Amino acid sequence: MMRRHFRRPDHSVPELNMASLPDLIFTVLFFFMIVTHMRDVEKRVQYQVPAGTEVEKAQHKSSVVHIYIGQPTDGSTDDYCIQLNNQIATTAEIARFIETERRRMSPEDQERLTVSIEADRDVPMSIINDVKQALRKSYALNVSYAATEEGASLVKE
Amino acid sequence: MFRHRRRGEVPSLNTSSTADISFMLLIFFLVTSSMDAGKGLKRQLPPPPQDQEQVADILDSDIMTVELSAEGELTLDGKTITLQQLQQEVRQFAAVNPKHRVVAVKASPRTKYNDYFLLQNALVAAYRPLKCPPRISEVIEEEGGQP
Repeated sequence: MMRRHFRRPDHSVPELNMASLPDLIFTVLFFFMIVTHMRDVEKRVQYQVPAGTEVEKAQHKSSVVHIYIGQPTDGSTDDYCIQLNNQIATTAEIARFIETERRRMSPEDQERLTVSIEADRDVPMSIINDVKQALRKSYALNVSYAATEEGASLVKE
Repeated sequence: MFRHRRRGEVPSLNTSSTADISFMLLIFFLVTSSMDAGKGLKRQLPPPPQDQEQVADILDSDIMTVELSAEGELTLDGKTITLQQLQQEVRQFAAVNPKHRVVAVKASPRTKYNDYFLLQNALVAAYRPLKCPPRISEVIEEEGGQP
């Protein structure tokens, strides 16, 4: 009795209501748009940053300037190179680079300007030191050594 | 499939492609964006050297000299030590008078950045409970051994 009651007149499959699918996908899309940021520069050097326990997140993305140090990806030399913006540069160009980046920023960002040094683990200290001295001369004194976070602390509290 | 509409009813818009369009946007954002927020070890550099600079008078007992060789070997006052030992030593040393005591770091120009970074990391970790920024003086020795 019941069976006949629920049977459909024809044998078509019931249609799934897809009306909410675009809304769902839009929600996911907006999530990704908010939590991610665009890749602004193309990396011309390859590097692997060190891992540390005391690393902190960058506070204001708009006030961070990146300096990449690593081996060129095009394989022209095996020497370590400095990349500013989209091109390989020398330490002498750092001062001008910081100056142009400063001019682009708002006054609040200029105050808290941070230079993120993204260097490979095997870069010799002579290059890092040259970069640091150049940054000191242009009064970009907040630096952040880019690193990945490591779980355990060296010494337990 | 094709159904007859009743007269007077507004025809509905076909929205089945909205999902496809938003999927394409979603995939575009997934490909072009990177999730990793820049993380790093924050340090403060000293201002550039002035012409008439006053040499600060610091007692020898208030300076702790850490040397980092080109091979990544740590030396504290002539003794080879590990990073963990150094972190504890620095914490004990700085706990007495963190505003005046200075850790002097000497590195060779051929020292690898990773070793230097781990040393900085250990020093920041040692100063963390003292609620005072680390006072570190850094010197990179010239090639050939001259200071």
